[in-house]
Amino acid sequence: MALQTNSTRAYAGTVVIDAPALPRRPHASFGVRRETRLAYAILAPTLLVILSLVAYPFIGAIYLSVQDKMVGSPGKFVGLANYTELLGDETFLRTAWNSLVYTLVAVALKFVIGLTMALVLDQERRFNNFFRTLLFVPWAVPVVIVALNWRWIFDDLSGLLNNFLITFHLTHDIISWLSDPRLAMGCVIAVVVWAGTPFYAMTFLAGLQSIPRELYEAAEIDGAGVLHQFTQVTVPRLRTIFITTVMLSTIWTATNLQFVLILTRGGPASRTDIFPHLAYQTALGARRLGMGAAVSLVFFPVLVVAIVIATRQMLRDRDE
Amino acid sequence: MASITRSRRLLKWIGNGLLVIFLVWTLVPFYWMVATSLKRDKEIYGFEATLVPRHPTLQSYQRVFAQTPFVKYLRNSMIVAVSTTIASLAFGSLGAYALARLRFPGRAFIARGLIFTYLVPPALLFIPLFAVMSALSLIDTRTGLILAYLGFTVPFCTWLLLGYFRSVPMELEEAALVDGCSRLSALARIILPMSLPALAVVAFFSFTQAWNEFLYANVFVNSVEARTITTGLTLFIVEDVFFWGPMMGAACIATLPPVALYLIFQRWVVKGLTLGAVKG
Repeated sequence: MALQTNSTRAYAGTVVIDAPALPRRPHASFGVRRETRLAYAILAPTLLVILSLVAYPFIGAIYLSVQDKMVGSPGKFVGLANYTELLGDETFLRTAWNSLVYTLVAVALKFVIGLTMALVLDQERRFNNFFRTLLFVPWAVPVVIVALNWRWIFDDLSGLLNNFLITFHLTHDIISWLSDPRLAMGCVIAVVVWAGTPFYAMTFLAGLQSIPRELYEAAEIDGAGVLHQFTQVTVPRLRTIFITTVMLSTIWTATNLQFVLILTRGGPASRTDIFPHLAYQTALGARRLGMGAAVSLVFFPVLVVAIVIATRQMLRDRDE
Repeated sequence: MASITRSRRLLKWIGNGLLVIFLVWTLVPFYWMVATSLKRDKEIYGFEATLVPRHPTLQSYQRVFAQTPFVKYLRNSMIVAVSTTIASLAFGSLGAYALARLRFPGRAFIARGLIFTYLVPPALLFIPLFAVMSALSLIDTRTGLILAYLGFTVPFCTWLLLGYFRSVPMELEEAALVDGCSRLSALARIILPMSLPALAVVAFFSFTQAWNEFLYANVFVNSVEARTITTGLTLFIVEDVFFWGPMMGAACIATLPPVALYLIFQRWVVKGLTLGAVKG
């Protein structure tokens, strides 16, 4: 039967390679053509979604970014004027720097804390499943609620944090966590880390549990200490999970608008403004759609690197 | 060897200590949220933050239900999330079946494109999508939101199901096909029943992502009629006044559906994470 395929395990590139090796039967081309028609028929909804809701808007973003379009009025072509204006703009340069610091620090902290959390939860302990469940809950909570709740914790007069510090005489003055230029970014990052660490801990823990115990036993017989076992067994085994998790998290951290929008609105004095927030404010606050699109596109090339690495890694993981 | 046992024991105690810190760090904000929702305004805005509500009351919850369109927001969120989930499951199953079992030109390209589209961030798409939604008069409608959410749930569902379908043995299906069963009924009768864990994971993710989404909901909806819970919560901020009591009450309720689903599905969810990686 021409309809039979043995390529169930094959994927992506390999499918193309093993296709000619299949026995050619009479009417094979008829069967193949019918299979192609069926495939595209049932893929149609998915393709339609991808084309109309991702590909088309993506091209639309590029097209908008070379226009001076405002909300509610037609735009005209302005070439690269939006981009050149951005590069000379001080807020933009500050935002670029903020985005870099914010993303790098948040991702690094989530990685270290997430790995620690995973290692702790991988130890033998009673009620460990219960602890895992508790520690991963922030991952399921809507980000907007996380941000609002932390804004309340950081509240100057009635917030939990200041009251705690004053009650225990750790400070005498009220600290304006979110409006002090030196503290605001740190606070935003703390909240991002609080919300994002469970994702790291979950994927790392799954990786840790897939490492065969014999590897550790063998290393131990060879005289490897605990630290040595970690660097020689654990880290190499988790490498691919590290890459995928960090790449995905970088994309989602760098493009998440909610934390900044709710905690600080980019303030004080643009200290916590990052790209998605600047794009949002430009497009909807200042109603400059074209310029907003340009802002969001400027940081896309950096993300493309992360997207490509993540895509490659996810395809490779699946083939194994 | 003795030193290894000793450092093991030391590590165990360090681990226990860290666990306590992690638990406090994770749970205190939740406790504070619930505690706030049970306080009276006088206690909330006092200069002393009480750890335990002095006179626990459901007043805030009463205000949420009686004085705000909160029920309408909940209903909208439910309609949007459930519709998104159903459509994602249907589109995802069909697409994943084609990619897993049928051979056709463009298959590798499409499979690759799925991940790529899933990873294109909404922060890049919301501006042109806003223009599209305006042009199609889908601003301020639930349909518009559902469509927008399909943009990230469908590629992800298709990708995750594709991985699972490929792990379902071919033999059963081949037997059915030889018996004259059509491709689609093979999908419905053999593959889908064997893929229930994956379908559960996909349903969980679609529902949660649609329920938790904020950016599109904030940009595409401005009216009470279509507003969902996430953006509804920000309306407890009026100018510079924060109505913390009712806001935290509403937040507690809005947190329940995704967290309850997480508790029910967690065993499969962690597996799903390793299969396809999920927004975090």
